[in-house]
Amino acid sequence: MNQVLTQSPESAPAAPAQAPAQVPMRKPGRKTRPSVGGMVGRVIVWLLVAFNLFLVVWMVTTSLRDTRDIAREPLGLPLAPHWENFTTAWNTGGFGIAAINSVVATLVSSLLVVAIAAPAAYVLAKSTRRLSSTFTLLFVLGLGVPGQVLLVPIYVMLAKFQDLSHLKMINSIQGLIIVMVGLGIPFTVFLLAGFFRSLPVEIEEAAAIDGSSGIRTFVQIVLPLARSGLVTAFMLAVISGWNETLFSLVMLTTAENRTLPIALLAFLDQSQFNGADWGGLFAGIVLVVTPVLALFIWLGRRIVEGMTVGISK
Amino acid sequence: MALPALPVARGRNTGRPRAGMSAIERSRRRLYWPMLLPALLLMLLFYVVPILYAGWLSLHTWDGINELTWRGMDNYVQLAKDPIFIGSIANTLKILFVVGIITFVFAFALTMVLREMTGRKFVRSVLFFPTLINAMVFGIFAGFLFSPAGPVNKILALVGVQDPPKWLAQDNLFNLIMIVMIWSATGYFTTIIMSAVDQIPAYYYEAAGLDGAGPWTKFRHVTLPLAWDVISVCAVLWTMSSVKVFELILVFGGSTAQAPPTSTWATAVYVYQAAFGGGSREFGVSAAAAIVSLALVTVLTIGLRRMLRREAIEI
Repeated sequence: MNQVLTQSPESAPAAPAQAPAQVPMRKPGRKTRPSVGGMVGRVIVWLLVAFNLFLVVWMVTTSLRDTRDIAREPLGLPLAPHWENFTTAWNTGGFGIAAINSVVATLVSSLLVVAIAAPAAYVLAKSTRRLSSTFTLLFVLGLGVPGQVLLVPIYVMLAKFQDLSHLKMINSIQGLIIVMVGLGIPFTVFLLAGFFRSLPVEIEEAAAIDGSSGIRTFVQIVLPLARSGLVTAFMLAVISGWNETLFSLVMLTTAENRTLPIALLAFLDQSQFNGADWGGLFAGIVLVVTPVLALFIWLGRRIVEGMTVGISK
Repeated sequence: MALPALPVARGRNTGRPRAGMSAIERSRRRLYWPMLLPALLLMLLFYVVPILYAGWLSLHTWDGINELTWRGMDNYVQLAKDPIFIGSIANTLKILFVVGIITFVFAFALTMVLREMTGRKFVRSVLFFPTLINAMVFGIFAGFLFSPAGPVNKILALVGVQDPPKWLAQDNLFNLIMIVMIWSATGYFTTIIMSAVDQIPAYYYEAAGLDGAGPWTKFRHVTLPLAWDVISVCAVLWTMSSVKVFELILVFGGSTAQAPPTSTWATAVYVYQAAFGGGSREFGVSAAAAIVSLALVTVLTIGLRRMLRREAIEI
């Protein structure tokens, strides 16, 4: 009881809900130690949280400040919002075209990867063929292949394909989209297979008994049921596509084809020569971070679950 | 649940003659290849073929323009003698073990603190968020925050530190990179471990508590064994992602138009620099380095799994 009282100042609201956790602390000899440790722990955790939140706020405020101001006082607040940082970044910094490229590449590749992975994940999840476990293993192994292993071969293969087909692959958004779809397959199949496995088989059987064909069952019954899984897969594809840097850096060489991460790198390189435009740089960072932040605030639980739940299996 | 008849009706047995299959199984079989093939083809084109191709390229010298010439194992011999490559392997291993172990200790400590804390969902989300951001952003942040006249040094000066460390000097750079990695990875692994710990029934802790177990004993004898599977999966995940580290190192320091200092390179940076980092394109050397990093991740993953599996049985 004593224990509960010493703890109540910072954890009072949680006390009723967390009652079981406090049961063990009744042991008289040990009452102070966990409380002090716990308190120190909590303080550290809240400091960490404060630091992370500070970074976001600092990023936004800095993007609205005058560059000379930033250089003089890195932690200050904007006196008046300098929206021109964003217009400079958008127009002369090349972030405008890069943002459009990023949105197109990310959305198209994410839609394609889910559209291609979903049927495959479905048959792998539901099929009882022996071959299926081999294929499942193939996709899982793909998860472990570091991107750099594929970098040179894929680059050369795309260049050769471009020569043969006269379709623009290197230094083009369509080429990047194809690469992002290809690279995203293992994770998306893995994620969706786990999801399809959890769907009850009875519903499909009912559909089959009612005379629904396999493809109709899949499109009209399984897919709608799996909607939340598909949305999660799509979101995760969007996030990884939005952040893709290694292949974009190698493939996209001219300003009009850059995606946001590459534009950010180019902006950094430029500031080597023109002096650092901190305001513009932070405006660019805001462009890179905000969409992900918005997605996270909107669908955070789903994203977190998608990235963590399938793992424990 | 109470539906033992259904799996049987579904026809689990693959060797069964066609006539014995249910309608659903038959239509599934018909759709098997059409539904699987597109993904399988992409898998072949973007994983299987490139890996084989990388292996083949690693035995040649090629700049991407002139004729490919056979070089046998010489690329690998050259890598073995290249101090930059050895250094980049060492850095990758440092990321894997030093950053990995510290991250896991932090993740566990956080899990323990968060278990009994108000606002845990909120805290978890805030700490998880860095996982979703391109690591380049953190490289730029760190370069700015730790620059000689930057905020960190200003704050230190207020506290009275007149001679702060040279954060961005070559010797400190990699340590700073590792700190940023720890910070950004902790939230992700905390979330995974927390979801495992949440599934441990509370009465285990109560029982341990009644037997006189303190927090450490409870952690050691309840949490650790019951969350062990997830921990071993986390270790594998971390192995895979530590070999991929690229963006953070590339921009670290925030203002280098050229390659980052070689003392900070990890394998991914080495592969990129050998093939595309200005100067001559050495696709053969780059491919060899890529194959070495693939071998590294394979050996480490298998090794870690073995090691962790044995421990689990021990408990």
